[in-house]
Amino acid sequence: MSTMLATTCRGLAGLAAAAVITLASGPIASGPAQAAQTLGPVTDPIGVVRVPKGAPIQIGGMWVISGPDTALGLDEQRGVQIAFQDLGGKLLGHPLKLNTEDDQCNAEGGQTASTKLASNPQLFVVLGPGCSSVATPGAPILWQQGIVLIGTGCTAPKLTAADRKPEYDGFARTVYSDSEQGKADATYLFKELKAKTIVTIHDGSPYAQQVQQVTADNFTAMGGKVLSQEAVSPTDVDMHPLLTRIASEKPDVVYLPIFTAAGAQIVRQAKETPGLEKTKLMGGSSLLSADFIEATGPAVVGFVIGYPDISPDAMGKGYPKFVEEYKKAFHEAPISGYHGNAYDGAMLAAKAIEKVAKTDKDGNLYIGKKAFRDAVFSIKFAGISGPIACDAHGECSQFHPSVLEFTSADPKSFSTGTNPKKIWP
Amino acid sequence: MARLNAVDVALWGMRVTVVLVVVVGTIGTLVKDRYTIAQWVDFVVFGLTIGAIYAQIALGYTMVYGVLRMINFAHGDFVMCGAFAGYFVATPLDRSGYLQDHPVLGMSAILVVAVITSTAIALLTERVAYRPFRRVTGLAPLICAIGVSFFLEQTFRGMFGSAVKSYPSPAWQRSTFDVFGFNVPRVDFLVIVLAVFFMGGLYLIVQRTRMGTAMRAVAEDGETAALMGIDVNKVVVFTFFLGGAMAGIAGVFYAFVYKQVYFFMGFTPGVKAFGAAVLGGIGNIPGAMLGGLFLGMVESIGPTLFLDGLGIPAPYQLRDLIAFTLLIMVLIFRPQGLLGEKMAKKRA
Repeated sequence: MSTMLATTCRGLAGLAAAAVITLASGPIASGPAQAAQTLGPVTDPIGVVRVPKGAPIQIGGMWVISGPDTALGLDEQRGVQIAFQDLGGKLLGHPLKLNTEDDQCNAEGGQTASTKLASNPQLFVVLGPGCSSVATPGAPILWQQGIVLIGTGCTAPKLTAADRKPEYDGFARTVYSDSEQGKADATYLFKELKAKTIVTIHDGSPYAQQVQQVTADNFTAMGGKVLSQEAVSPTDVDMHPLLTRIASEKPDVVYLPIFTAAGAQIVRQAKETPGLEKTKLMGGSSLLSADFIEATGPAVVGFVIGYPDISPDAMGKGYPKFVEEYKKAFHEAPISGYHGNAYDGAMLAAKAIEKVAKTDKDGNLYIGKKAFRDAVFSIKFAGISGPIACDAHGECSQFHPSVLEFTSADPKSFSTGTNPKKIWP
Repeated sequence: MARLNAVDVALWGMRVTVVLVVVVGTIGTLVKDRYTIAQWVDFVVFGLTIGAIYAQIALGYTMVYGVLRMINFAHGDFVMCGAFAGYFVATPLDRSGYLQDHPVLGMSAILVVAVITSTAIALLTERVAYRPFRRVTGLAPLICAIGVSFFLEQTFRGMFGSAVKSYPSPAWQRSTFDVFGFNVPRVDFLVIVLAVFFMGGLYLIVQRTRMGTAMRAVAEDGETAALMGIDVNKVVVFTFFLGGAMAGIAGVFYAFVYKQVYFFMGFTPGVKAFGAAVLGGIGNIPGAMLGGLFLGMVESIGPTLFLDGLGIPAPYQLRDLIAFTLLIMVLIFRPQGLLGEKMAKKRA
């Protein structure tokens, strides 16, 4: 009995001590945990990465490269690979090496991928992800280790909002914010489709939740009415009851900026739901892929998505050449929409490395992490997705709205420009 | 009168809350009068459809549990295997127009291939993975079943990719027909009727055949059954045969209703069907059928009926919560499940 009591007391004392230490250390650190460091010719407040002579410069990558949203991530990874190819596979005399992790396009996968990348002491930058649900937990984990995350397809407004928390200071993106996408989608719905009432559906992901909210707010501000804001789980398959409920509201448009599996189910099942057979459906940028056409079948024809304008006219000068290189390297046209943003993300990282890296007399390369972060936020150049110039909150891309319409149910016909084709503006 | 302790009070509080939500929500929804009778009929049909599929899957869980006292967590993946096999038959039949022109023969071919595949994989799993654990107690068989589940998922992912594949949708499936003045989707009607037919057939096999009697004897007491001359191995193999066949049929039905197949598709319906088997009384065949239908109906109607009237936004996000809360409530009132019997001490 006395042993048990002693053990319990020791346990409680340990817990109390832990609590005191936690309280004494103040709030949980939100910036990099590393201290100032001097290596070779470089001193940096949050650490220095030394790349020995001849060794590769390691750049991290995390994208969804398995599951229903594979095309989204794979397309971005390919964009980065082409950027490396255009750089000759080398930078400052060191080969470039891409370390990719599969983030599965969800928060758990993002946490795992980020933690794994953060444990690599040679990393100072990670490219990706394509999903905001990954960037939301991932960016703080990486920045704790002084690693900058350059988002290539994650568009949730909060990631680059003016009031974002300090733990996101290491995050910048070469892709637009959905606050722009939401405004454009609301404009299309209200002014082009003349819709007076809509229902929105999200899947709980930061991307879907935020873009539908921005669209709903803008649509309401224009004079439209949002009848309801519904939600599904990304793994739901039986959408009939939800759609029957929506049919009872008789909306002009159902707006569903969600991902492939659930999005395809809704588009298919809406056609079979009494009252919704002819209701216009509109999706978001996450549905631009051949996989979505395959999953949706014939119901995909006529379905529209809001998307940044990636027609050659709207993109940077280098885009047509990039598409040719893409086709040559991967024997198919781009399989989703953020390849150009990913290419620019890689180029932004390369330019920042060139700006801050220093080489000692033995040929070793040194990169200060804080200096690299500041360089990313200050560099301006003409990217293939448009001009790249970051604001103070890491928003580096510019947005040109468009709406695309799917024209064929054959996944092989997927090609941005023809299937889906641009119908607005 | 015995005094209530804190746990009793909490349980009664939970019961009263759930009953209040159900009653007040239902009255609120009906008073709002937002849905037409036809829409309520649609909710019921959708619930019966998914419920019939859950019921078929639940049979596999309950039969294996009844005979081996083991939870076969790979059963949902047998469903996936059947759906995939059906896909590779259905797609060329659809492209050639055969499925549209000869629906009975086309569907029969798809079902036969799916059943053969699921059954073969179920039997192989039993022989290779489960039989070595037959006499092992503890968690090892359960862990083995989870391992088989991962193995099957990743094998199919490796073989056929991770993208979602679209199941064919011939025109005759997309049409509706009139049942007492209401339009019912033909594919839903077909799935409900055929599921009831196959489940009825399975029930007759278990109740009326020698092998079914042997199954029930082994489920009652395996050792005594063996002493009476029953070949327990043969009974176990037969159980997996029946479970695999039902999984194959359920896989094809699931894919024809929801039109998609991918390597992870068996997981969610598998978990729900397991819940349905527990709800009905695990080990009890009519209980599994009833549990599946109950779960399907609650998922389909519950969010609208219970939450709409309370003004809760986006109620379909909470459908699993509603379904599993009611499942817990049923088990609090009847721990043995809806149709389960209280087990003798030896079996419990």
